[in-house]
Amino acid sequence: MLSPSAHSWIEGETLGEHLEEHGVSRRDFLEYCAELSVVLGVGSALAPKMAHAIEVQKRPTVIWLQLQECTGCVESVIRTENPSIGDLLLDVISLDYQHTLMAGAGTAVEKVKAASMAANKGKYLLIVTGSIPTNNDDMYVMIGGKTARSVLEEAAEGCAAILALGACAFWGGIQGARPNPTGAVGVRDIIKNKPIVNLPGCPPIGDTVTATVVHYLTFGALPEVDREGRPLFAYGERIHDQCSRRAHFDAGQFVETFDDKGAREGWCLYQVGCKGPATFSPCPIFKWNNRTSWPIEAGHPCLGCTEPHFWDTMTPFYGRLPDVAGFGIEKRVDTIGASLAIGAAAGVAAHATMTVMHQIKRRRATDQVPEAHENAGENNG
Amino acid sequence: MSKVSNEVGARHPPGARYLREFGKPVPRERGDFTWVYLWGAPLRIMHWVAALCIVALVISGLYVGRPYFATTGEASAHFLMGKFRFVHFTAAAVIVMTGIVRVYWLFAGNAFERLPALFPMSPRNMRSMFKVMRTYFNFQTQDQPHFVGHNPLAQWAYTSVYLLMTVLVITGFTLYGQSAPTGFFYHLFGWVPGLMGGLQIVRLVHHALTWAILIFVPIHIYLAIRADYVERAGIVSSIITGGRFVASDDEFEDIDLAAGKSRPWPAE
Repeated sequence: MLSPSAHSWIEGETLGEHLEEHGVSRRDFLEYCAELSVVLGVGSALAPKMAHAIEVQKRPTVIWLQLQECTGCVESVIRTENPSIGDLLLDVISLDYQHTLMAGAGTAVEKVKAASMAANKGKYLLIVTGSIPTNNDDMYVMIGGKTARSVLEEAAEGCAAILALGACAFWGGIQGARPNPTGAVGVRDIIKNKPIVNLPGCPPIGDTVTATVVHYLTFGALPEVDREGRPLFAYGERIHDQCSRRAHFDAGQFVETFDDKGAREGWCLYQVGCKGPATFSPCPIFKWNNRTSWPIEAGHPCLGCTEPHFWDTMTPFYGRLPDVAGFGIEKRVDTIGASLAIGAAAGVAAHATMTVMHQIKRRRATDQVPEAHENAGENNG
Repeated sequence: MSKVSNEVGARHPPGARYLREFGKPVPRERGDFTWVYLWGAPLRIMHWVAALCIVALVISGLYVGRPYFATTGEASAHFLMGKFRFVHFTAAAVIVMTGIVRVYWLFAGNAFERLPALFPMSPRNMRSMFKVMRTYFNFQTQDQPHFVGHNPLAQWAYTSVYLLMTVLVITGFTLYGQSAPTGFFYHLFGWVPGLMGGLQIVRLVHHALTWAILIFVPIHIYLAIRADYVERAGIVSSIITGGRFVASDDEFEDIDLAAGKSRPWPAE
């Protein structure tokens, strides 16, 4: 579907045969598998096994639901590293239903989807992009006369596993940011009884999707995930710990404004709000648009888009720490903290002055040196 | 409760001559004062080690939070942030060890140091606390109830600092653990970001509580010195020597000198 096939899938044909039919040489295919094995972190020794597993596959079905979203994730995924083979892979996995890319529309494709889900019950892979609105009887997204929630629940019913692609399917995305008027939530908040792999990002890197699908095809299982359900091969390390500008962080060299010397020298973006230290993502390694670049390399601080609720917790995007609300206007914690600390020091000085004045007054009034003083003198003697 | 006179008795200490020369009243008898041992060595060592750690942690922590000076030239020639982080993490490890000692001493220490002493919440203690607070506002120090150990207001402040430090340690080690997602601290404190609503919130809390410590420190030092000035009983030196002087005939809320035993607040 992504790169229209010269000849359609022959019933019973394996993926290997299909690739060969399309003029993909054995060498190219093995190279691709070796690259994916590195991406997955399983070691290139497993590449032949992977190649074999993919070759003998017989058209696994994938249903791709687009719910409350902007289609940015699809845009990202069709820009995978090796488009000729990667796209073909996605083509060959029989992407039976994908709003944006499919040629058909309306009742016909809804029928195709229903038929495909029935025929592959318990075996197909479900990819979801977009959040699920839950306010006002879920009425904010309707597809084919059904709410996003019922579309998702229907598709999840017979699937083998779910890939929740992008920030929206992960936790709700931008429409799930405060005050979240539509009550947008992620897939994991709705579907509890199916294995879910989250591939967050706004958008995610296409390679993470291809690699996860290939992992699934190769090993017959979803990749190992972290606490948030994100595959460790991609989201296992912080951006901060893989960053090409890390040396400048350790050296104490920081960009203060976007037009200063540090910015020209490519110093660390920590001071202009980089969220790399709080963000787990493969950006520094996979990079974007065929390994061209990525935000920090291009001179922009990381926004932290692979983390849950990043629109709320990672803002201000150009500040190190979240603002503190409730002080009339939102203020930085340092302003408040320093004011209070200075206030405390001033209070101490004023209180000390008052104490001394009162003590002197009291001692003069009683015309007597306080007893403790004399008694202490005795004891010392 | 005056036990002083200008008469010079037979058993006067040598210092009495100087007191007379300066026109000061001379104590009538010896033994009017008792030296009371309060703070065990582990507690005192913990206090000073923690104090040094807090100085190191605040200085390095404020740099890590907002680098206040920078280096220039080749990055490979410098390791400024690295050094500050090293100081921060090392001091953090040491202060956690003092915390462990303190927890042990909550069970092994004397009545003033044990766990129940941290929570003076009996009605009598609450009344005393408000009395102390009142004298802080009206400066009538003669009305202040006397305590051999901490007065309830001070004790609640120190208990709050213990809690504050606990939150600082938990948030700090949560942030520390992020660099090694397969490591011990990442797993030990993995529940923290979810509970607080994200790593940035953890960072904010850790940063904000630093300012809370910076507010506590000057007030703590001031009130300790003030107590010495007002009561003249060697209170500041008690955190070095472990004990202080108390007048035998003074009335204390938390100790009965005549009975020769302490009755700290929780016992009431």
